[in-house]
Amino acid sequence: MNCDSILKLLPLYYYGELTPDEEERVEEHAHGCPVCTRELAQQRALAAALDRRKLVAAPTLLEDCRSDLMAAIQGGAPRLARTVKGPWRLFLDAMAASLSGMSSGMSSGAPASGITRLRQPIGALALIAIGFFAARLIHTGPPSGTGALPGSVTAPTDEVYSTVRSVQPDNSGGVAISLDETRRKVVTGSMNDGNIQRLLLAAAHEDNPAVRVESVDLLRSQSGSTEVRDALLNVLSQDTNSGVRLKALEGLKPLAGDSEVRKTLRRVLLADDNVAVRMLVIDLLVAHRDDNMVGMMQGLVQQENNNSVRLKLEKALRDINASPGRF
Amino acid sequence: MAQDAAGTAGARVSPQVDSLIRAAQAGDQDAFEQLVRTYDQSVLRLAVNLLRSPEDARDVYQEAFLRVYRNLHAFRFDCSFHTWLYRVVTNICLDQLRKRKVRKEESPTIETREGPVDRMDTFQEEAAHADPERSLWNRQLKQRIETALEDLTPRERMVFELRHYQGLRLRNIGEMLGTTEEAAKNCLFRATRKMRAELGDFT
Repeated sequence: MNCDSILKLLPLYYYGELTPDEEERVEEHAHGCPVCTRELAQQRALAAALDRRKLVAAPTLLEDCRSDLMAAIQGGAPRLARTVKGPWRLFLDAMAASLSGMSSGMSSGAPASGITRLRQPIGALALIAIGFFAARLIHTGPPSGTGALPGSVTAPTDEVYSTVRSVQPDNSGGVAISLDETRRKVVTGSMNDGNIQRLLLAAAHEDNPAVRVESVDLLRSQSGSTEVRDALLNVLSQDTNSGVRLKALEGLKPLAGDSEVRKTLRRVLLADDNVAVRMLVIDLLVAHRDDNMVGMMQGLVQQENNNSVRLKLEKALRDINASPGRF
Repeated sequence: MAQDAAGTAGARVSPQVDSLIRAAQAGDQDAFEQLVRTYDQSVLRLAVNLLRSPEDARDVYQEAFLRVYRNLHAFRFDCSFHTWLYRVVTNICLDQLRKRKVRKEESPTIETREGPVDRMDTFQEEAAHADPERSLWNRQLKQRIETALEDLTPRERMVFELRHYQGLRLRNIGEMLGTTEEAAKNCLFRATRKMRAELGDFT
């Protein structure tokens, strides 16, 4: 073998990609050839220099990628049915189950048993509130004489949640504990019930994103009501969780022709940083063609950084016989 | 040379991965998440090193795994999952590289809350050298390497990245890119020749 043919094999030799036979020939030749030996040394030096340029992604980037992906999947869930119930659904289920054997009406024994557990300071501190969710929901409902919501079945449970506000030792060796109590109340009713809808609208603003997802998911079936539509638009524009925004979009699908909805959709397509949200918005927009969207989409094709979104925009424009470019 | 754990495992039949795939195909979201976590570090590393941009790498990650999520039902175990996944990832990365070639884009800086910073400074170099005497030489070398890599075609760049940095075999790379081992060999040869020409006096 001459130098020319060996030189062509050297990169593959370095990367161990030659057959044993070829490898042997390279070694035999290089052993007695200073040109090829130097060439091989340079190949090694090049590889070493390239090794130094290797980049390591920051661990936060990986975590961000993972949470983006899971939010997009859980929100959009295009193929897999969600098998895990969210807290709101679990809450409703658990309460419905616990109510099945109970009579309705207030029970005077329940608060007493709660207080009994709070006699010791350590016990009191252990009973830091799980949340005020139920109480806050009930306050958003309309007032009624009995405290129950008309048209819904309400019942107290024997659970009292307490938040300790202060613990003060006194001179006699005792302690004074100041606490807020929240009694959980269950409200059940059909999705057509106005009160249930109001509670769900309130729940769509809860701090817990899982509660927001579940509430918006339930409200989707009621998107015919102006109040629910506005709430879904509000969630779509403002919710920080992309899973919740995707749920709102699902609910807005039947209203994709509504001019208010389209206005918000156009704004979201320009501003939302989540790829799955932007993809779904395009689907909704193209379902009903309007003149405003063509120019906006043509402009967006030039700016869009994400490959899938750009391809989708281009396809959408082709489908409606509009040019993907702007002239 | 970098040898990828998921990559080498992917070339063999891995019963754990198999059962994760089957569970994910049956709708088990936890299994899908575990499957993602088995491979996503190597996918992100590939995207970061190829595209040299955290934003683009993030887009590739999201798009690749969303495609996998949507099409997992079509995976028939007739190749390793690693190869199947990398077909998706390399396609998306090649599209990005081709678009860049056309646009000749990419500002060398990115905006952050603290003002503009060099795109490369947002990453950690795996082998940072503390020797100050060599720092100028290193900076110049780094610049020349970037230029050399930009001169490669997207395909040459991909083959080189997969072989040199990800440690994959050329036969496997050919399979991922829908070509032959021979074509992958030619690509690697052309890539190294171009880089030698650009970096000759540095090495």
